[in-house]
Amino acid sequence: MADLSVNVCGVTLKNPVIPASGTFGFGREFNELYDISCLGGVATKGLTLKPRLGNPVPRIAEGRSVILNAVGLQNPGVDAFLEHDLAWLKQKTRVLANVAGSTIEDYTEICARLDGLVDFVELNISCPNVKCGGMAFGIRPETIGEVTRAAKKSLVKTPLIVKLSPNVESIALNAQAAEKGGADCISLVNTFTGMVIDIERRKPLLANTTGGVSGAGIKPIAVRMVYEASHAVHIPVIGMGGICTAEDAVEFLMAGASAVQVGTHNFTDTFACPKIIAGLNDWCDRHGVSHVSELTGALQ
Amino acid sequence: MREVTATILENIRIAENIYSLTFATDEEIEVRPGQFCMVGVQDFPLRRPIAVCKAEGERITVCYQVKGAGTHALAENYKQGEQLSVLLPLGNGFYVKEEEKRVALVGGGVGIFPLISAIRAYAGKKEVFSYMGFRNRAAYCMPYELQRSDRLVVATDDGSMGYHGTSVQAFMEEIEDIKPDVILSCGPTPMLHALKKATEGRNIPVYVSLEERMGCGIGACLVCVCEKTDGAHARVCKDGPVFNINEVVL
Repeated sequence: MADLSVNVCGVTLKNPVIPASGTFGFGREFNELYDISCLGGVATKGLTLKPRLGNPVPRIAEGRSVILNAVGLQNPGVDAFLEHDLAWLKQKTRVLANVAGSTIEDYTEICARLDGLVDFVELNISCPNVKCGGMAFGIRPETIGEVTRAAKKSLVKTPLIVKLSPNVESIALNAQAAEKGGADCISLVNTFTGMVIDIERRKPLLANTTGGVSGAGIKPIAVRMVYEASHAVHIPVIGMGGICTAEDAVEFLMAGASAVQVGTHNFTDTFACPKIIAGLNDWCDRHGVSHVSELTGALQ
Repeated sequence: MREVTATILENIRIAENIYSLTFATDEEIEVRPGQFCMVGVQDFPLRRPIAVCKAEGERITVCYQVKGAGTHALAENYKQGEQLSVLLPLGNGFYVKEEEKRVALVGGGVGIFPLISAIRAYAGKKEVFSYMGFRNRAAYCMPYELQRSDRLVVATDDGSMGYHGTSVQAFMEEIEDIKPDVILSCGPTPMLHALKKATEGRNIPVYVSLEERMGCGIGACLVCVCEKTDGAHARVCKDGPVFNINEVVL
């Protein structure tokens, strides 16, 4: 039995596997299939100040080994989450509250409401599916710095993770901008902006025209970006993008991640996360690794 | 709700582009009429949501239309004896109240398949009146199951079999005679629109099963929403797929 626990910003996770925001709700539905207390943590559905209805349907499409989504941040709002879901989720596992806003003030306000109540705030400045805000903050180093500083001001007790967009010129510069702005950790990658066309109807398949590409097909690009980002900063990195197996997770850890998130594969295999956790333990045992944390950045 | 590794007993073509897939699970699974399952297809990231047609203990039958690459692969690559990953039973299903004795079923296209599960559940216990629409004679399938109804009217768009017209038209010609206590329906959106319009003001509850592209199938990802008349969104996979027709914007 390897020690799978990892320490991220002074918070201990029992293992490095976290379902990614938007694929797991607040954990209740998956908990009907397995006890989610086995997870390292849960990144919640993106929370906004006010409830949001999101985009029209269809919100999902498929490509070869990838999917595209354009949900558009449908969520009940931060207050509803605090009232109905947080206490339940917290007694299960670590909570990464993913937050999104349209203005700097939105981010400041949501963070203020969550400070001290959740284990991490994950700042979503990389959602490609909303018209204002979201990714608009996450493209350029200057705005990343600005929104990170604003969020950090509201977070006295809770560590701040900034979730980076891959739709950028330099992931290393953006990672550094988050670090300089006061981020305690960065997570990447969010989805790549993409498009699928129904050639019979000659129309985009998604009602939103474009959506975020995720899934196994993006993994090599995500690993490269995690590698570049983790070598550009001194804060911990949470890696994600197409992870389907324990071996995929190991790859991200070796590229420099301290923990990983699993998104799309939760749809393909409902038990993806517990299987990856068990597989990580087996992999460590087979390779004489006593602590999974030894794998972070362990490229030779 | 469980995830099972099922063994395929049969995966055969039963009509033009329509396949019937029967699989065996390791233990008996109770499925309500109108519930569905998510079927995993190798090399496709998303499972396919398919309505359950028949649930006979450990034997489950679903019928699907070959439409895109995923259902094509399901029809071509999955043979008897092979294994299949399935999540089931999912969604709310149809509910018919004790006092609702006369049940009308109005279906069109692949929408007839969830209604077959209703025929099986209520035949012999209620009076079941079925109005099932097909594009043409070649699309007609599962006669044995449909004929369990106390009355069956088959409608075809081209008149090549049965009533020449839609299932809604066929149903409305008889609604005064059969006096249903409740109407259950599934089919293309224009058909549901027509049913809504035709039954408005009659004070008969109408329940419709909706179809939407899905992500997780269990209510977590908020991909498959429908708009409710109160302005909120409901999850088709978890809050549905069955809704009161007045509750949703079609």
